[in-house]
Amino acid sequence: MRFTINRETLVSNVQDVMKAVSSRTTIPILTGIKIVASDEGITLTGSDSDISIECFIPIQEDDRQNVEISKMGSIVLQARFFADIVKKLPGETVEMEVLDSLTTRIRSGSSEFNLNGLDPEEYPRLPEVEGTEGFSIQADLLKSIIRQTVFAVSTSETRPVLTGVNWQLEEGRLTCTATDSHRLAMRNVTIESKDGDLNFSNIVIPGKSLSELAKIIDDTDDLIEIIVAENQILFKAKQLLFFSRLLDGNYPDTSKLVPNESKTTITVSAKQMLQAIDRASVLAREGRNNVVKLVSQDNDLMEISSNSPEIGKVFEQVEAQSYEGEELKISFSAKYVMDALRAMDSSEVLISFTGAMRPFLIRPIEGDSILQLILPVRTY
Amino acid sequence: MKNIQKHRIVFHVDMNSFYASVEVAHNPELKGKPLAIAGNEEERKGIVVTSSYEARKKGVKTTMPVWQAKKLCPGLIVMRPDFDRYRKASLQLFELLNEYTPLVEPVSIDEGYMDVTDYKGPKGYVGLAHEIQARLKDQFGLPSSIGIAPNKFLAKMASDMKKPMGITVLRKREIKEKLWPLKVGEMHGIGSKTEQKMNKLGIYTIGDLATSDRKQLELGLGVNGIRLFDRANGNDNRPVDPEAINEFKSVGNSTTFPEDLTDSEEIKTALTNLADSVMRRMGRKEVLASNIQLTIRYSDRKTVTRSRKLSNPIDHGKDIFNAAYYLFQKHWTGEPVRLLGITGFELVEKQEALIQLDLFSFEKEEKNDRLHSVVNQLRDRFGESALLRGNQARESRSNRLRDKKHRGTSLEKDFLRNKDKGS
Repeated sequence: MRFTINRETLVSNVQDVMKAVSSRTTIPILTGIKIVASDEGITLTGSDSDISIECFIPIQEDDRQNVEISKMGSIVLQARFFADIVKKLPGETVEMEVLDSLTTRIRSGSSEFNLNGLDPEEYPRLPEVEGTEGFSIQADLLKSIIRQTVFAVSTSETRPVLTGVNWQLEEGRLTCTATDSHRLAMRNVTIESKDGDLNFSNIVIPGKSLSELAKIIDDTDDLIEIIVAENQILFKAKQLLFFSRLLDGNYPDTSKLVPNESKTTITVSAKQMLQAIDRASVLAREGRNNVVKLVSQDNDLMEISSNSPEIGKVFEQVEAQSYEGEELKISFSAKYVMDALRAMDSSEVLISFTGAMRPFLIRPIEGDSILQLILPVRTY
Repeated sequence: MKNIQKHRIVFHVDMNSFYASVEVAHNPELKGKPLAIAGNEEERKGIVVTSSYEARKKGVKTTMPVWQAKKLCPGLIVMRPDFDRYRKASLQLFELLNEYTPLVEPVSIDEGYMDVTDYKGPKGYVGLAHEIQARLKDQFGLPSSIGIAPNKFLAKMASDMKKPMGITVLRKREIKEKLWPLKVGEMHGIGSKTEQKMNKLGIYTIGDLATSDRKQLELGLGVNGIRLFDRANGNDNRPVDPEAINEFKSVGNSTTFPEDLTDSEEIKTALTNLADSVMRRMGRKEVLASNIQLTIRYSDRKTVTRSRKLSNPIDHGKDIFNAAYYLFQKHWTGEPVRLLGITGFELVEKQEALIQLDLFSFEKEEKNDRLHSVVNQLRDRFGESALLRGNQARESRSNRLRDKKHRGTSLEKDFLRNKDKGS
């Protein structure tokens, strides 16, 4: 294997592939990045067996020469060292050549490294999901779906299935749900699948996979193809393949958990509410649970307060655009409500309550594309 | 740390109608007016928590409904408690006491013991008490009563003898005339139930108790009877322990079995019983636990303790059992078990407890909560056996665990909750 490649292109692709590489893997060869030079370009692969990422660098792109390949072949190099080296190399291009016995020479400008490689034949094959039917989403929309749901997954392993986001596709409508059992985030989008009759449910994608995916894909309107297989999901972008393992187990039925009646409904500026809760939680953070209290007052006013006996008290007033229904007195985790408000795209939100011991809903004033459900904190 | 010295001097400093006094100190306009602090100022529901001496003169008493208090004392000012304010005042007053000796033991928000044996100043002990009392009044506007005695029990009894702003010396040789004529129910450490039991034994005054038959007392009241007998005779060797308040940080119970247990169903029953009794103790103290510890002692006396931190504080028997049983399953070696114990740690007061509700269980939680309070009411009225879980009703030797007397001794110290009736 021997090729010369544009350094910046190599660095950014290596960084993407690195997202899948873990130093704590039980399969030693997975600490490496696999590099393949073919007659079309260079393919880089990284994997921790849960997530696998494959990046492709074509020889030519938009009239620009990326790579010049003089000998095809492949090698696996220690990811940690390789990534560090290419980042620091001085020249505009990098020349890589596999010498005898897997040793790889990396040259750039005035610098030369000789790195011991691993046998590429031992690198595991990527899962096979090709051939299965799929659907497409714009990259920027996929990114926002992830941002609006993934924060609500559970970080505790007591119910492993809750550490993922549940995807369900029914009649052209994709519903993504995440819950850690204290709050729930749900996002709906309409999908144009190729033949329109693709349906699935109980597809649970690990939250970590989605977070990494969101970091790699660009904020463009390019389409990303999504293919769901038995226990794998594949996201296919231009020059990128992102595989993730799916979580085992049945995702709980959350459709009945969303209340359809409310006793108090308020309309409020998301930003104002967010800032008021943020300030009120400055003192609450010192307390045990980061809990603030919301109490309705006259004239559509609401008071948000928190009290840490040793430190002090804080009172914030928020004016609702509209206030309908019963009086309100409820305590909740400031963090959960702030997370939910940050996930809303609309500047005004509807918050509906059904009692101090029951979940409350945050929605945009129009449409049902986003829904955030939060369980209050009970006080005696 | 035991005090070996024979003649100790112990002060019991007791603040007079503390909540009301703090309010008056905070708002001088209330001075000299009848004032009551009530949980809810609404007449129908509210109950008087404490009141100023002006209100007490008119017959206002603690636990009296607000409407009744207002009837007895027209013009009564009723206020809601502000616990932050009281806590702050409490911290200040204990800081002041600590200037005199590090041996200050807070008992509750408004009373504490001081061991001033080492005080060698020119004023003498009584002079010292006057100085402390005057400073509490001048600096914080808070009246207090101080009892001076050779031990904690007598100091406590002494501080009760003159209120407000009293200073009372109770020497051991004076107990016959000063202490013995009092009704046994007025003795610190005797509640209404113990009083009834004593009356049945023909004991009506503290003097009766002091001169009663020790053996008889032990039969009727157990170890507690002996302890009370000693106190009535003016003996109490408990040290003034500044750390004692911290020991209230756990609530627990343990049982030694008449025969070693190996059957997991029997062990489950025993844990259910223990969890229930820990629940009741936590209920009485109005606390919840965030950490549950299990103690297993095997027949070879090898003892292991393991604990489990919980995401939410708990006080239901079922939750306590679940945490304990989880630990048991994880750590039991399968060997015969001699003793089991369950202890709740990291206690939070119920009114300050925060529980993050769960999406999948909040509805059950609501129902359980109602059931839980009904069960407790029934058990309070009709005894512990009035309601039993299925596995507690089984006919087996572990049945006897149900009986309170056989349930074993507490792993924790109860005395902090023996609140006096005066304040």
